[in-house]
Amino acid sequence: MDIDPRICVNVAVNDEDVHNIVLSYLVHNCFTGTMESFIACTGVKQPADHLVDMEKRKRIFHSALDGNALKAIELMEEFTPGLLEKNKDLHFDLLSLHFVRLVCSRRCNEALGFARTKLTPFGKEQRYVEKLEDFMALLAYEEPEKSPMFHLVSLEYRQHVADSLMRAILEHANLPSYSIVERLIQQATVVRQCLSQEFGKDGHQPFSLKDFLKS
Amino acid sequence: MGGVEDDGPPSKRVKVSSGALGGLSKGTSHREQASCSLSDLMAQPLASQGKDEVVGSKGVVKKVELVRIIAEALYSLGYKNTGAHLEEESGITLQSSVVNLFMQQILDGKWDDSVATLHKIGLMDEAIIKLASFVILEQKFFELLDGEKVMDALKTLRTEIAPLCINNDRVRELSSYIVFPSQNVLDISSDKEARLKSRKKLLEELQKLLPSTVIIPERRLVHLVEQALDLQRDACRFHNSSVGEMSLFTDHQCGKDKIPSQTLQILKEHGDEVWFLQFSHNGKYLASSSSDCLVIIWEVKLDGRVSLKHRLPGHQKPVSYISWSPDDAQLLTCGVEEAMRRWDVTSGECLYIYEKSGLGFISCGWAPDGKRIFSGVTDKSISMWDLDGREVECWKGQRTSRISDLGITRDGKQLITVCKETTILLFGWESQSEKLIEEGQNIVSFALSEDSKFLLVSLLNQEIHLWNIEGAIKLVAKFKGHKHSRFVLKSCFGGLDQAFIASGSEDSQVYIWHRISGELVFTLSGHSGAVNCVSWNPTNPHMLASASDDHTIRIWGINRVSLDHDDRHSNGIHYCNGGT
Repeated sequence: MDIDPRICVNVAVNDEDVHNIVLSYLVHNCFTGTMESFIACTGVKQPADHLVDMEKRKRIFHSALDGNALKAIELMEEFTPGLLEKNKDLHFDLLSLHFVRLVCSRRCNEALGFARTKLTPFGKEQRYVEKLEDFMALLAYEEPEKSPMFHLVSLEYRQHVADSLMRAILEHANLPSYSIVERLIQQATVVRQCLSQEFGKDGHQPFSLKDFLKS
Repeated sequence: MGGVEDDGPPSKRVKVSSGALGGLSKGTSHREQASCSLSDLMAQPLASQGKDEVVGSKGVVKKVELVRIIAEALYSLGYKNTGAHLEEESGITLQSSVVNLFMQQILDGKWDDSVATLHKIGLMDEAIIKLASFVILEQKFFELLDGEKVMDALKTLRTEIAPLCINNDRVRELSSYIVFPSQNVLDISSDKEARLKSRKKLLEELQKLLPSTVIIPERRLVHLVEQALDLQRDACRFHNSSVGEMSLFTDHQCGKDKIPSQTLQILKEHGDEVWFLQFSHNGKYLASSSSDCLVIIWEVKLDGRVSLKHRLPGHQKPVSYISWSPDDAQLLTCGVEEAMRRWDVTSGECLYIYEKSGLGFISCGWAPDGKRIFSGVTDKSISMWDLDGREVECWKGQRTSRISDLGITRDGKQLITVCKETTILLFGWESQSEKLIEEGQNIVSFALSEDSKFLLVSLLNQEIHLWNIEGAIKLVAKFKGHKHSRFVLKSCFGGLDQAFIASGSEDSQVYIWHRISGELVFTLSGHSGAVNCVSWNPTNPHMLASASDDHTIRIWGINRVSLDHDDRHSNGIHYCNGGT
């Protein structure tokens, strides 16, 4: 059962709401240039001192994405002091990024030294042990990209770390960790799925966001 | 030097007589050996002699193999010189020179060389070569780590071990060892002895990995001898004592003297036909029942004498079945289609009387945990009771007939009953599974082996059938010779490792068969009425009890007097270990 699109037409959509949604998306993802253009075009109010923060967040995010973990850590010390001490998982993830970078550039000596000094202390806690072993295993392979642990040297992993980093920083700054538009999409998807499960028992396909967006 | 002529040409095949080892002269064999190319060595690791030459009357023992394992045995025993001398004199080397080199390289720690040699041995299986290389390089890795050469160890791991692409879990572990040095379990110190020991262990592991034609397993000869002794012991039809000394000089053959065959005691307390008896699990008690409705508990004293402990009156009908609790502290008795009673063994008092209105009990048995009781009932159902007298469960249907035997497997999961005249039911009471054993004749009784793997079924056509009930049910053996066509007679397992089968008979004798061979070993006379039931003491393989229509119980044992005299009692020729 699909909701009759004509019903939706009757729901009023406020322009201002839409502007805020778009703005929050841009701020959340640090698209400063785009944000400035958007503000200029629509005349919407510029969020206070978000600009500076956005720049910093952007730099931290991209450092992590590039695998330049040490840079990211340095910036974080500056921008959000104390956050890494509190969030050990995040700290570990960042350090492991640096380790991966060393291993990938075949600097084994350095990698080993770094691992022993910075990473092994985490091994005292049981929940880090397996992860630690996963990373250490990378040392054994001359071509880490082809080893059983290849996922750890992939872009997807760095993306994952960078995303968690972003969410932690936003949380620290008391900002929402998901942009409004993300939350709206999540909501709509869940509601739709519930509905199609309820009424769609006789073979209706489950809700697909992709299809909906195309329609 | 052997007594055989050395002048004959080396190619002449000489049949080996005991004492001589090959008819080749020393010089010839060495020359031949040296001229063999490496490829020959790979195909058959030994030079010269027809490799098909056989030793022994059966023609199955290859001479070359025999000499090699003898040489290995000599080396294992520490007789290096003799071993070397044998190799020289026979012209048969224990290992090919390539393998010798390989083994030496391992002991010397020349890892890279040994891996190279490994490839030259000529193994067909790539997987084995990789496994062996892995194990060797692992040793190299650990020795480097131990010598604090961390970067070298890492290099070995990266460039030599990981590229083998096997055993990734182990590779992962090795990485951990590099990063966490304290985890190093191997701990080979720079102490030379410890290092050598560790390398010897590696060699052992390699011996297991590589095919036995390449490296002969250590102590192979001793292993073969042990196998032969095992087979001899199994084949020994009268084996009923833990024999500490089996000699290699003659085949093991026990005399009949260790099987209970002498009447040691006659117990006359019952006033009528004795129908059933059974020893307790710990062999300290014997319980018997009679058509006089009495149950008696006997005590087996330390000197083997059996004496009356308790008389248990109370049943109104003859008791056809008795079951000892798993801890031997209690006794369950079942009157024929009457009540079931539970007794305390120490005091002799009746603890509980189980009754089911309008119905009678047929059989009884304990669950292995001693907390529940199973019973067959006259309406053909089976019930389960707790110790307080509550009926916990009841399985209706054609579960049991009038036969009073009830078997419960060791794991407590299966109940065994005779559900129809010619059918035995194995009932998994929790899973409701059913397995059936179909016989062609009327089943009279059955007994379950101690390990619950076998069932002994007595039939009215004068046969006793042995069934394997573990996994797929199949008939394993049949025992015949006794008389059984009218009465209810019972048979049992017994003796050391339950190697024997015993049964009563209508001709007043006790029959004993050797289980594996099926051979009738003894018939014991003495009773003057049909022997209804036999029970073999589970903890004393030399004690057997029989119950008879002549109102008595006989305790049978071995002749304790020395073998020399008392020919009256001997039942056959005496064999000792070592003579025929």
